[in-house]
Amino acid sequence: MTTHPANQQFDVIIAGAGPAGSAAALLTARAGLKVLLLERGEYPGAKNVSGAVFYGSAILNELIPGWWEQAPVERHICRRNIAFMSPATAVALDFRCAGPGYATAPYNGFTVLRPKFDRWLAAQAEAAGAFVLTSAVVDDVLREKGRIAGVRVRREQGDIYGKVVIACDGVNSFLAKKAGLQREFHPHELSLGVKEVIGLDPAVIEDRFHLTGNDGIAFEYLGAITEDVHGGAFLYTNRDSLSLGLIGQISSLVERRKRPYELLERFKAHPAVAPLVRGGKLREYSAHLIPESGWAMKPKLYTDGMLVAGDAAGFCLAAGLYLEGMNYAMQSGLAAAETAILACQKGNFSARTLAVYQKHLKQRHVSTDFRAYRHAPSFVNGPRLQNLYPEIVAQGMEQIFRVDGAPKRKILPLAYRMVRQSSIKPGQLLRDVYQVARTYLW
Amino acid sequence: MHIAVCLKYVPDPSTIEADPLTGSIDTGRVLYMMNPADESALELALRLRPPNGAVTVLSVGPVEADRLLQEALAAGADAALRVWDDALGSLKPIITTALLAAALRMKELPGLVLCGGHSVDRGSGTVPALLAEHLDWPVATDVTQFVLQSGRIRVQRRLARGARAESEITLPAVLGLETGLAHLRQASLPSLMRVKHTPIPLYGLEDLGLSPQDLHFPAMTLHEIMPPRPRAQAMFTPDASAPVPERIAQIMSAGAAGKAGKVLDSGTPEQQADAIIEFLHQRGFLEHRT
Amino acid sequence: MVMTTHEEKMRTVRFRVAAAPHIVVNPDICRNQCTVHACVYVCPANLFVPLDDGGILFNYEQCFECGTCYIACNQEGAIRWAYPDGGYGVTFRES
Ligand SMILES: Cc1cc2nc3c(=O)[nH]c(=O)nc-3n(C[C@H](O)[C@H](O)[C@H](O)COP(=O)(O)OP(=O)(O)OC[C@H]3O[C@@H](n4cnc5c(N)ncnc54)[C@H](O)[C@@H]3O)c2cc1C
Ligand code: SF4
Ligand code: SF4
Repeated sequence: MTTHPANQQFDVIIAGAGPAGSAAALLTARAGLKVLLLERGEYPGAKNVSGAVFYGSAILNELIPGWWEQAPVERHICRRNIAFMSPATAVALDFRCAGPGYATAPYNGFTVLRPKFDRWLAAQAEAAGAFVLTSAVVDDVLREKGRIAGVRVRREQGDIYGKVVIACDGVNSFLAKKAGLQREFHPHELSLGVKEVIGLDPAVIEDRFHLTGNDGIAFEYLGAITEDVHGGAFLYTNRDSLSLGLIGQISSLVERRKRPYELLERFKAHPAVAPLVRGGKLREYSAHLIPESGWAMKPKLYTDGMLVAGDAAGFCLAAGLYLEGMNYAMQSGLAAAETAILACQKGNFSARTLAVYQKHLKQRHVSTDFRAYRHAPSFVNGPRLQNLYPEIVAQGMEQIFRVDGAPKRKILPLAYRMVRQSSIKPGQLLRDVYQVARTYLW
Repeated sequence: MHIAVCLKYVPDPSTIEADPLTGSIDTGRVLYMMNPADESALELALRLRPPNGAVTVLSVGPVEADRLLQEALAAGADAALRVWDDALGSLKPIITTALLAAALRMKELPGLVLCGGHSVDRGSGTVPALLAEHLDWPVATDVTQFVLQSGRIRVQRRLARGARAESEITLPAVLGLETGLAHLRQASLPSLMRVKHTPIPLYGLEDLGLSPQDLHFPAMTLHEIMPPRPRAQAMFTPDASAPVPERIAQIMSAGAAGKAGKVLDSGTPEQQADAIIEFLHQRGFLEHRT
Repeated sequence: MVMTTHEEKMRTVRFRVAAAPHIVVNPDICRNQCTVHACVYVCPANLFVPLDDGGILFNYEQCFECGTCYIACNQEGAIRWAYPDGGYGVTFRES
């Protein structure tokens, strides 16, 4: 008779079966470690919401070559579009690529549905030997001789011990807080995303978005689309549905007294969006938080016996041009796994040993990316970039294109006049241009 | 005492979305669960189990139903078994219960079988009675409470219009329980981990000593389930001249109370029949007078 | 239908309701100390109902477990927040 798993000591206990947790479980299990992956949902993905474009295809391809052929993916993204919105107009930046890496393997990004994708990814970890337990809420960490030695699951006899704990429990990470690694958040550091999956015939989707086969698009919207609330919106194509959603900073929603689902309705009714969703049928409404502030809300990433990865560590890049969290979750999960494997080899789980996590995060470009974009969140969420500039651009374009018998103006004087008429001071404008450049260019 | 509980693997009705035009169901979005009435039956069985007793759970269903049986084991059931055979076509209650009875006979028969009275999918409510028939045992349905008393069970049953009945039946017996009598306990962590890879014994027709011919019952054939059709009905309105408390009482009773009957004691039988038809028509029970 | 009311949205979500609430609101604090009532606006499930007396009526059954309310709430102790028991609560199917 085999020993009961509950009586075994695990090498690695991972809390949360999102992309961070399942990637960590997969890698540590492959290294031959005894791995327990705990998930509070009825199945992995049951509690999870993303847009969702998964930009981690190349990363996952290293672990599971050709993964998209067996995974529940929707469409690969070959066109991205960022639109600056005013109430009635939209000015967009359109990017299409049929070149290598975008429209061919390993592809740049795929739309996925999290309940299906997460379930599949956790099953890969299970196949690699991890013990995946669902319906298990982790309530606390266990300490022994000053170090973290396991977790407490909210069930009878719920204490379970392991050599190293990896907290992959997402944006609210109570585990990082219980371990004293994370502080409480402020409402301006987090955004709420509300989302709808809208069923639409695949033929209609392909027609409407000019797609062939499994091509897909990712549309993002900035500016007045969230009215005076700081945030943005997105619309992605799935196989037979659209995923669309709206993201709003919590403090800003509170200040403006806006209800997120009402903003979502108005987003769908915008003249630039309405024709895209027409005829669709709501399949599911959902909501989830996003750790918007990236670097600024990064917890202490490790302590004796424990590591933090994914959204729990604030590794989510949500700043204007980017809405990427799943790929960083996976990268940081893998970095944590590499760290845990090393610690198990050494038989040492002290903070000093686990400090190599930082090196692994750097090698996987997680910390470097977040340091590079550390200015983005506060800047992108500022009122000028959120509302004023998109409005000016949109209005400017409206005037450039308008034919109403009045003399045509050249663009520069027009732009000059638009800026003069707005509340922006020239010095401010220059500083913002510099900020944009510093945020995205170097 | 040995108690058996029948568990059904059912779709969660809140996840069943029928296309209003075609009536077809989006199967990709359906989630399955343990039938709620069966879930509370299991909890009651676990509470009732004496120290030297045992609770066995059984289900007729596809391999996915193993998950439910494992959940039941995690919650504390002592043994589980599943009945399934690819030769089985549609599962009418009469066949399901024949299989359950055969499965129960495989081992020493239990002293008590608990079933949920209704399932949330078909909900014919006939399983407890049919099972009792196959076993040749007494049955009590619509049970809301029961206590064991020296080889007998005192049961409280729910009757129509909120009336209750207390009765007593001898063991062995089958009880059909109402939904929501108890919440199934949360399994402990070690139990939950233990059952994850516990195999559930499977019995096919041959294992049960049955052949497809044994399952040929003269039975009702279900052709179609039709959605409720709204029909214009005379609404009950309270007497506007009555004082408020009285009007409230009238509304609360939905017109059930205080409706004075009329005795038809004069006229020819034809006239009396016409009066009844007219009455039913006025109240919205009949659409046409003919 | 593309345009939907909040009720229609909520009807597409599957909840497995636990016996005990995972979020408890102390309406006394809402009534006596809070002027913003942030929760009323931000909750994506619209679960906080303001009462005439300044208090809050809260129902936990249809909660997304997102955490927005406890982060938006600026009154210490007004919201006691935890995840529901394992396997209970919201179960997304497609998001
Ligand atoms: C509206 C929206 C749109 C987004 N769009 C995109 C996008 O298009 N592309 C992209 O890359 N990213 C996107 N993101 C960000 C992305 O969703 C996250 O960055 C990513 O999910 C983080 O992964 P994770 O594994 O760290 O955490 P999660 O995916 O949140 O997983 C955490 C897991 O832990 C479980 N858990 C939590 N607490 C406990 C506990 N106590 N016990 C047990 N289990 C627990 C949860 O149930 C969950 O399964 C979006 C986010 C939102 C909200
Ligand atoms: S914000 Fe907090 S204190 Fe104010 S009403 Fe809501 S729950 Fe109560
Ligand atoms: S956790 Fe989210 S859905 Fe639940 S009550 Fe709070 S804000 Fe509303």
